[in-house]
Amino acid sequence: MSMSSTTAGGAAAEDPVIAAAGLTPAGAKVSRNFDWVIVLIALFLVTGAFHLHYMLLAGDWDFWVDWKDRQFWPTVAPAAAICFPAAVQYFLWTFFRVPFGATLCIVALMLGEWINRVLGFHLWARFPYALIWPSLLIPSALFLDAVLLLTRNWLLTAIFGAWGFGLLFYPSNWVMLAAYHLPVEHMGQTTSVADMVGYTFPRSATPEYLRFIERGTLRTFGGHSSAVSAFFSAFLCMVIYIGWWFMGWAFSKMIWVANPLASYMGLKNSQQS
Amino acid sequence: MMKNSTPSDRTNSKPWSILIAGMKAATVALSLAAGVVGLASSAQAHGERNQEPFLRMRTLHWYDLKWSASKLKVNDELVVTGRVRAFEDWPNNLPHPMSVFLSTAGPGSVMAKKESYVNEMPVLQSFGMVNGREYEFKLVLQARYPGRYHIHPSLLVNGAGPLAGPGSWVEVSGSVDDFVYPLKTLTGETIPNLATYGMGTVLAWQGLWGFIALAWMLWWLRRPLLMPRHLALLRGREDLLITKADKVVAGVIAVGTIALVYGGAHWAEKKYPMTLPLQGGRAVVDPLPEAARSVDVKVVRAVYDVPGRSMRMTLELKNNSDNVLTVGEFTTANLRFVNKANSAAMAAVPADYPSDIVPRSGLVVEGDKPLAPGETARVTLDATDAIWELERLSALITDPDNRFGGLLFLYDDKGTRHISPVYGAIVPHFTDANSHF
Ligand SMILES: [Cu+2]
Repeated sequence: MSMSSTTAGGAAAEDPVIAAAGLTPAGAKVSRNFDWVIVLIALFLVTGAFHLHYMLLAGDWDFWVDWKDRQFWPTVAPAAAICFPAAVQYFLWTFFRVPFGATLCIVALMLGEWINRVLGFHLWARFPYALIWPSLLIPSALFLDAVLLLTRNWLLTAIFGAWGFGLLFYPSNWVMLAAYHLPVEHMGQTTSVADMVGYTFPRSATPEYLRFIERGTLRTFGGHSSAVSAFFSAFLCMVIYIGWWFMGWAFSKMIWVANPLASYMGLKNSQQS
Repeated sequence: MMKNSTPSDRTNSKPWSILIAGMKAATVALSLAAGVVGLASSAQAHGERNQEPFLRMRTLHWYDLKWSASKLKVNDELVVTGRVRAFEDWPNNLPHPMSVFLSTAGPGSVMAKKESYVNEMPVLQSFGMVNGREYEFKLVLQARYPGRYHIHPSLLVNGAGPLAGPGSWVEVSGSVDDFVYPLKTLTGETIPNLATYGMGTVLAWQGLWGFIALAWMLWWLRRPLLMPRHLALLRGREDLLITKADKVVAGVIAVGTIALVYGGAHWAEKKYPMTLPLQGGRAVVDPLPEAARSVDVKVVRAVYDVPGRSMRMTLELKNNSDNVLTVGEFTTANLRFVNKANSAAMAAVPADYPSDIVPRSGLVVEGDKPLAPGETARVTLDATDAIWELERLSALITDPDNRFGGLLFLYDDKGTRHISPVYGAIVPHFTDANSHF
């Protein structure tokens, strides 16, 4: 009998987590289908909401190759991108000990971005891909998830993980961006390939003067303004991570509110039912 | 009990098909959303008639426009040249043209911009303009997408938005796949095509990380995910949820990410040791030398006759030059009202000039007499055409300040053009306008 029940339970019943949870085989099956439904909904929700959030905050810096400067792009992009990962990490880690919240958010974001760049920017508005590829955030997200799992502590994750999230952003993108910063001579002027891409393919609503790049006196730091920005961004990420971790806490709190209209809804005495 | 084993085996494959079907649905939904975003951003590229009249009559005046071709193949060049004047009576509610960028107005990036000059100075970047002064521009474009396009030169003015010049229809044949824009860098690298340059690295690098991210998520997704883990956690079995193998994988991910990012950045530094930051400077362009003002123009009275679709203005002209001058053309909002009785003015309209912006009825000059040197005379100009309505310029009666502006072209007996700005108040007439003259 014990033999047959093991066979009957199949692979799911052998899982120690299922056993520890005390789920029947049927319960395990339902919970598995529930997993997939939730993953799918989460992917939709995070892709839509996070993409909107990121476009509003880091928009042009992420859209265009000639906005990806050493100063504002590496500061703004990671700081805007760590919000959702922090909140989703809170939820998935606290209730399920699932440590892929940041990666899930960033993969969903980048999926949304690529769909938008291909269909909206390239096929509709006819911008070439060299102008519109999105910044890469996956290494930052993987690091954040790994630190959460290894430390199992939100404060240490904020200090080390979020810090790494910000710091990893510029070098992980430089792999792709370096080629666009080769010097070019055009019409007797020195410029970069990225500037040339932006100049050559007209954007009727995003003129050159709107670019918010390379301002101020950061370049007095021995020309290492990208490193200065990366460290500043890392610090920002730390602070924002803490804020959004608690945003996750606030949004996953369950609150019961007494129904003041209960008597009108035929629920005369909800206490009794 | 035994029957249960078959469905529970199937649970491993069935959710995948649900997931894949869901992903397809998600892709379609997101594509539609993306399409709407794209639609909104490219639709504003071509709303020349939607701009309020003061934006078209009192900001920039474009003239002497030439388009080098009307039929092109992909990769062929189109040169657009002409002159533009930043107006004296610039609207008070707009910032002055301190930061201006020369570009084209058209549907998306259908043309590549090869070169652009203002007063023979290259304008890779934005520059500033002086009100009341003239600028000569040259745009060298390269056809990229096949199709029929209305190509305008355009100056994007910081605070005032895109101000487009006259447009001309251009037909491009061929295939976008043939478009190439080669370039050579100062470090000796050859760029075969600027439109796709660097994308090999972008796709490979982003694909690699996408693969790692999916592997990391599958590491967790392959196991029971939500309810069982939550219940196990409530029963204090955290040890089952984060195993030793999980910690090893996380350690590999943490260290591997740093190593791979460092390695990648190091590779890029080695491959491209000489790089340049983005160039955020400005171009400096001096206006053309100021021509002596041959004729002073004072607006005595100007009326827009709403039912008659007619602009009439009585001007007091004072000839300061040594030449006998005649009124040839009034131009505003990219429309050319030409005095057909004036042969020099008629000769200044090339045969291939876009006819939709040269109103057929032209400019009627009442009491069209030559203006002698030193003479002061009153003339009444009549520009009547349905185009006021068509171009939505009749909306000027709802502008926040009822002023009009334009350029008056006068010609001497040698056929030389003399330009004077015209600006003043305008009164809309909703009934019989003639009685007021
Ligand atoms: Cu047009």
